Amino acid sequence: MDRGKGEKQMKHGKFEKLKRIVLGGLLTAALTGSVLHADAIASSLPYQSYNYNYWEDIVYTPAPYAPDYVVDGQSLVYNGEAIGSFATPQDLCVDADGTIYLADTGNNRIVVLDGSAKTVRDIITGFDNNGTADTFSQPSGVAVSESGQLYIADSQNRRVVVLDTDGSLVRIVKDPQSEILDDSFTFVPLKVTVDYAGRIYCVAQNMFEGIMVFETDGQFTGFFGTINVDITLWERFWRRIASKEERSRSQLFIPTEFTGIDVDPEGFVYASNIDVNGEQGVRRLNPRGEDVIRKGVNENLGGDLWISGSTDYAGPSQFTDVVYRKNGIYSCVDRRRGRVFTYDHEGNLLYIFGGIGTQNGTFQLPTAIENVGGDILVLDGTKANITYFKETEYGRLINQAVGLRYDGDEKAAVELWKQVLLLDENNELANTGIGKAYLTAGEYELAMKYLKLGMAREYYSVAYKRYRNQFLTKHASLFLTLLLVLVIGGMVLSGLRKAGVIGSGRPEKTEQDQDSL
Amino acid sequence: MKKAFAKEKWEYLLYTMSHPMDGFYWIRHQEKGSVGVAVVMVLLFSAAFTSNRLLAGFVVNDIDARTVNSFFELLSVLILYLLFCVSNWSVTCLMNGEGRMKDIAVAIGYGTLPISVVLILGTITSNFIADDEQAFYYMLIGIGIAYGLILMLIGIMQVHNYTLGKTLLTVLLTFAAFLIIVFLILLLTNLLGMVVNFFKSVYTEIIFRA
Repeated sequence: MDRGKGEKQMKHGKFEKLKRIVLGGLLTAALTGSVLHADAIASSLPYQSYNYNYWEDIVYTPAPYAPDYVVDGQSLVYNGEAIGSFATPQDLCVDADGTIYLADTGNNRIVVLDGSAKTVRDIITGFDNNGTADTFSQPSGVAVSESGQLYIADSQNRRVVVLDTDGSLVRIVKDPQSEILDDSFTFVPLKVTVDYAGRIYCVAQNMFEGIMVFETDGQFTGFFGTINVDITLWERFWRRIASKEERSRSQLFIPTEFTGIDVDPEGFVYASNIDVNGEQGVRRLNPRGEDVIRKGVNENLGGDLWISGSTDYAGPSQFTDVVYRKNGIYSCVDRRRGRVFTYDHEGNLLYIFGGIGTQNGTFQLPTAIENVGGDILVLDGTKANITYFKETEYGRLINQAVGLRYDGDEKAAVELWKQVLLLDENNELANTGIGKAYLTAGEYELAMKYLKLGMAREYYSVAYKRYRNQFLTKHASLFLTLLLVLVIGGMVLSGLRKAGVIGSGRPEKTEQDQDSL
Repeated sequence: MKKAFAKEKWEYLLYTMSHPMDGFYWIRHQEKGSVGVAVVMVLLFSAAFTSNRLLAGFVVNDIDARTVNSFFELLSVLILYLLFCVSNWSVTCLMNGEGRMKDIAVAIGYGTLPISVVLILGTITSNFIADDEQAFYYMLIGIGIAYGLILMLIGIMQVHNYTLGKTLLTVLLTFAAFLIIVFLILLLTNLLGMVVNFFKSVYTEIIFRA
């Protein structure tokens, strides 16, 4: 948190900021008891929850999620035996029934847990490969299809293993053959996911062309969602004038690798990637592999906005995994500062929580994020545990309101947004949501008030225009009367002037002055 | 010399607005201008600028009101004004300009009036416009600024008795001189700081030795 403040002060005047913080703190403390209460809850958490406002300033918010409990391997028992701690687990996935599959990478096994991760349902250490017993080697990705088949990215065996619900082998996907693949290419699958049609999407090591796509039968069909490298004119210019040696020593312009994938029910693939510019760390790919994600006002989907500094802690967020939750909401986990960023389908940042640390609720190296019921699960590769986050009142209100808005029921969302405002009165989404509802209801003055607070300029303008029309129509008689009075008055005045009753109103002296110039 | 804020000075300001060629010429040759009025105009400009940033309607205003500091804006406007006058004077002195320092100050100061007027008018109208009427606001402001700049240009041209080409050249050189002055000031403060530091360290040395 201190570091967060440090970043903050870098951007603005130290004094002004400090003054604002102190004054704001005093005012809040003096005026609202409820906020104090929320603070008390927030301070018991190991992290600060915040969000960025329209001006990209940090605004601290109540916690949207609070750590509920932490599961590590030591506490788990299977068939009367302790299963031992996990070793660098790399991936998690949850099927439709809420069963959790954990890729316990270092122990070369897949651990199947129930929704609360408190009981072990199964431990998959191997399978029957056409008569011979086969095992996994560093399985680092796991996914479940709609029909319940388990897809395991068996990285060091360079294959994706597909197992049926009973654990029998369905298929092994390996050695992708294609002209577009380099001869020296070795297929090391890291993350895997599967859509409703059974297509397999696979993130492979050192594969910068994009996500590898396999048909249901395991045939490699091509790349998907390739991230193009933008070389600016300036970089091009420098490369042009650089000598061969300089060029060979300079940094290569390679596209970023994908880090995690998820599929939404409509078959769109959400993929996280590490963006060195911190502008876009997540993509939503349509079946043709085009990025169709929507960005919010600030055109940023890269996590933290204040990333300046030269310490390890500074720099753009690095999303290692993404999970599609529901109603267009998706969350990404950042391994640099251990934070979970949640966006809605319009690309608005809903809330941020989490952090790096040793307490429950913070991480060392988050590797995967999942969603069970309403809970968010974060898998930590270094701490080798799963943290369960429960939504708080604040988080629940936002999730529900965004869900209602996603379904087009903005009117019903208003009540929820109003409750959000009680907890976080600067919430711009809430203000905009209320404002839009007033706009449709025809209460333009109120709509203007809330839309201005929500910094929704376009909607404000619409509301203002209608308000202005209403005002003019209402007072039309007054304006017309005034106009009439002015016209008649002007006519009378000029008539009088002509008749010589009053002077022309223009001092003759000035004219003389100007003549003399 | 007549009083700086006499009534005819104000009237002459308005006359200059509509007749810049004659207006600025007689400012140089018949002491028609007033530095006092010019400074008031600059203060007005600063006020108009700040109020525009603070009070312009939400539709056109994308400024975080908390970042607006009217005192610093006043200070920076005054410093810019002073620096521009000084650098213009230093350049034109070497280029056969006839204008004196006070003529330059008057020319620039008077030139800000149209800008202040449109800023104030714009600030008021911006509170009554919707999104698709923004063009009017920006047109108003644009015209005012263009007119103000033209006035300043004519002012410089007339007080120095230059041709237009030479005026443009001197304006360019003025900006160069501007940068040089800023550089020298920075250099001077830096070096002075070093000297002060030196004496400070000598002092601490003596204190600790004694």
